[in-house]
Amino acid sequence: MEEPRIGVYICHCGTNIAKMVDVEAVAAEVGKLPNVVLAKTYKYMCSDPGQELIIKDIRGHRLNRVIVAACSPRIHELTFRTAVEKAGINPYLFEMANIREQDSWVHTDRVEATAKAIDLVIAAIHRVRYHEPLAKRSVNVDPATLIIGGGISGMVAALEIANAGKKVYLIEKSDHLGGHVARFDLTFPHLSSAKQMIRPILQRVENHPNIDVFKKSVIKNVTGYIGNFKAVVENGVPDPLELTFGNIIAATGLKPFDPSKIEEYGYGKFPDVVTSMEFEEMLSAGKVMTRYGKEPRNIAIIHCVGSRSKKYHEYCSRTCCMVALKFVNQIRAGLPDCNIFEIYADMRAYGKGCEEFYAESTHRQIIFLMFDQQEKLPLIKEAERNDECNMLIELDEKLSGETVEIPADMVVLMVNMEAHEDVKEVVHAIGVSLCGNQFFIEKHPKLDPVATTTGGVYIVGTCQGPKDIPDSVAQARAAAARILATIAQGSVAVEVTTASVNEAMCCGCQTCIRVCPYSAVSYNEEKKSSEVNEVLCKGCGTCGSACPSGAISTKHFTDRQILAEIEGIMSMSYKEI
Amino acid sequence: MSVRLHPEVRNELIQFGIGDWNACYHCGTCTSICPLSEEGFLFPRKKIRLMQMGLKDQLESSVEPWLCYYCGDCSKTCPRDANPGELMMSLRRYLTSKYDWTGLSKKFYTSELWELGFILVFAALVVISFLVILPSMGYHFTRELTAEGGVQVNAFAPIKIVEPFDLMMAFVVASLLISNILRMYYKIIWKNSKTKVSLWVHVREFWNLIFHFAVQPKFSKCDDKRYWLSHWLLMSGYTIMFILIMVFLPWFQTEKIHPIWHPQRILGYYATIGLLFGLGVAIVGRIQRKDIKFQFSHVSDWLFIMMLTLTATTGILVHIFRITGMPMATYISYIAHMSVLVPMILIEVPFSKWSHLAYRPFAVYFTQLKKYAVPK
Repeated sequence: MEEPRIGVYICHCGTNIAKMVDVEAVAAEVGKLPNVVLAKTYKYMCSDPGQELIIKDIRGHRLNRVIVAACSPRIHELTFRTAVEKAGINPYLFEMANIREQDSWVHTDRVEATAKAIDLVIAAIHRVRYHEPLAKRSVNVDPATLIIGGGISGMVAALEIANAGKKVYLIEKSDHLGGHVARFDLTFPHLSSAKQMIRPILQRVENHPNIDVFKKSVIKNVTGYIGNFKAVVENGVPDPLELTFGNIIAATGLKPFDPSKIEEYGYGKFPDVVTSMEFEEMLSAGKVMTRYGKEPRNIAIIHCVGSRSKKYHEYCSRTCCMVALKFVNQIRAGLPDCNIFEIYADMRAYGKGCEEFYAESTHRQIIFLMFDQQEKLPLIKEAERNDECNMLIELDEKLSGETVEIPADMVVLMVNMEAHEDVKEVVHAIGVSLCGNQFFIEKHPKLDPVATTTGGVYIVGTCQGPKDIPDSVAQARAAAARILATIAQGSVAVEVTTASVNEAMCCGCQTCIRVCPYSAVSYNEEKKSSEVNEVLCKGCGTCGSACPSGAISTKHFTDRQILAEIEGIMSMSYKEI
Repeated sequence: MSVRLHPEVRNELIQFGIGDWNACYHCGTCTSICPLSEEGFLFPRKKIRLMQMGLKDQLESSVEPWLCYYCGDCSKTCPRDANPGELMMSLRRYLTSKYDWTGLSKKFYTSELWELGFILVFAALVVISFLVILPSMGYHFTRELTAEGGVQVNAFAPIKIVEPFDLMMAFVVASLLISNILRMYYKIIWKNSKTKVSLWVHVREFWNLIFHFAVQPKFSKCDDKRYWLSHWLLMSGYTIMFILIMVFLPWFQTEKIHPIWHPQRILGYYATIGLLFGLGVAIVGRIQRKDIKFQFSHVSDWLFIMMLTLTATTGILVHIFRITGMPMATYISYIAHMSVLVPMILIEVPFSKWSHLAYRPFAVYFTQLKKYAVPK
């Protein structure tokens, strides 16, 4: 191995670092260490001149290792890896020391923060000596895409990909496409027809030459990795079809909350207590009637059914408030003399045009009543004969402080959006994690909201969390764009910092197979040793740390590298202790 | 105990004024800016809530709207333009109609036809009395002047006939008003099943009624003190004139021209100036609509102002023509004066805007009673 020639760069990060860390002192201290050719400071290393400085030094000083002490590698590791690559060094010969999040931002003593910065940079210097160049790897991408779920998100994504000339397999477990949106009457906030909106999409999907629709079907046995998946479609026929595809979109949608769990609301007991989906169907049919075929004179709408409650679901379903307002507009149009009571916990008018929709709807002669669902839920009771209504709702009205009785002939429960139970099977198949509320977890909540930690698997629509139609469609199109980009490239770069097994040391205990969260390790019976599928491996290191015989190491995180880092960090601090 | 919502109350309330209480989303800005605010005093927000929810009984037992003099701070600061000040004004009209047991108040407030019709009928009766009935009883216009050179008013409107009518009117009006105040007391204090107020408290707090009637300190809580002054001048002028006419008519309506320093003339002049000044402020304000309290004018607001202005100006004319010895002009302006005054007193005092003169001080009194109420 050639002698390491290390260049160290200490970033001021404006004043973010320089204010708490004496960057010049750090540079002077680490500059003395062996193999360190130069140690410089600069205002913003991530800026173009900062990167240019590194590139020039690599060329001028024949550097073969580079360290930047700045922010978290999460933010700029890729920036600097790209920069050193430009100068002809393998990007894995670069190391970053985090002296901002782990140092300047969290400390208040400048002397100690400076000492810590020195320790962190020395650790990086020790580590980078043992870095090895790693080659980039890529796999080919099968241009077909599997979409699970034929609701609005799945259909829109399917059309987007199919229109680009690529094959789509659309799997729908029921006997019709359209999902929940097909059951809606009007949409908020413009009160336009859901049916008119979804019908042409349905027709285009059904008739598209590039889309194969599988209704009443489920997907089983998904295997493979980004670009090269395989699965079996089961739809009752004796000979299940095997599909191969390069990417997966999960668009499994939502399930309405079952309100019979909430005793106070008497759903199932009172025939005229209906869910929002049932009411939607009444509106679709154009008939809002009580069970006895009478026109209701008092309609109460209860919000947050199953939402924002420790007992049921803590999250907000996001769309129900506006759907409830849509209902009151529709009721007011159809039954001008009906008393409408909106029993809400908080009115959430999130989204474009929604606050305006709320403000407008408040002028429809609606009686808005607030309750505190943390304290007490409204109680639906049967009315007496002389009450002149079917039911009475007892409510601690929050804004007046009065306990009131609301006459009701019909009660609409705005039920929460729940994650689908079937999702668990899909999860198992495609290897995506679930959050506490059983929704799929995205790769990054802000910067990567449609991808997952599994390459080639995307999540769109309400399976990722409660959302409205525009957001679902936006996600669907975003996922489609991401997939089309990989298809267009034909191949996709995969992780290179993967685990590898030293076959000679492997004892065959298979602990690694049990602990791997990505199903990337398998057992080779012939060789009597574990094997890592480098495409599936994310380099998390779980197998390496679990391996009792030390047979597995992860590239770029070898024992030697980590121990060197520890040696480095310990080499200075002893004097304080 | 839960109270039943009565959504239909809205349909009734809506007839009493301009306002969109659906706009209110209960941020509480109005309550925090209201000069009447004290701890636990959720005015005017809570009243708007009662209106929104149609809680009839709670609304009818509300005393707070009468403590509000409409400074308009709440309407100015309302982020939703719900106009709490005007809603309270509407609520006062609604309450006036609820205290009134005859049902006429509601008719007058909600139907211009009823109100104008009644005014015209009473005006016509007055005119007929002077042009037909009195002449047939031998009382005629006379061009002959008194020894002092004044007009012989009693020749055409003899005090011995006018006064009994006057007292009769006073009796009717007072009975109606007192019965309404009793109903107000019943709704606010008596009906409350949870608390009771001792007789001693009733006696001890009675001074509030007199004091607040005479000084109107609640009004002076509003930031702009000019309105308190102009309203006080108007109120005091009106009250003096009202007492002079209704109780001391023989002393007030004389043929003798008293010297300028005579109490009859001094009180008369003071009342006239107070009335005209207060009315001037109200008229200019309601035309300009600059100040929030004058932005919305209900028919009843204008009618009251117009009738009072007409009464005052015709009264002034009667006085001028009488002492300058112009008989015909005096008689005509006297008839005009009476044909406005009589309907004004009969309609406005027990049934309409005027009644606030009684309800406001009683509201202060009742508020004090509520304060010292004890649980039953």
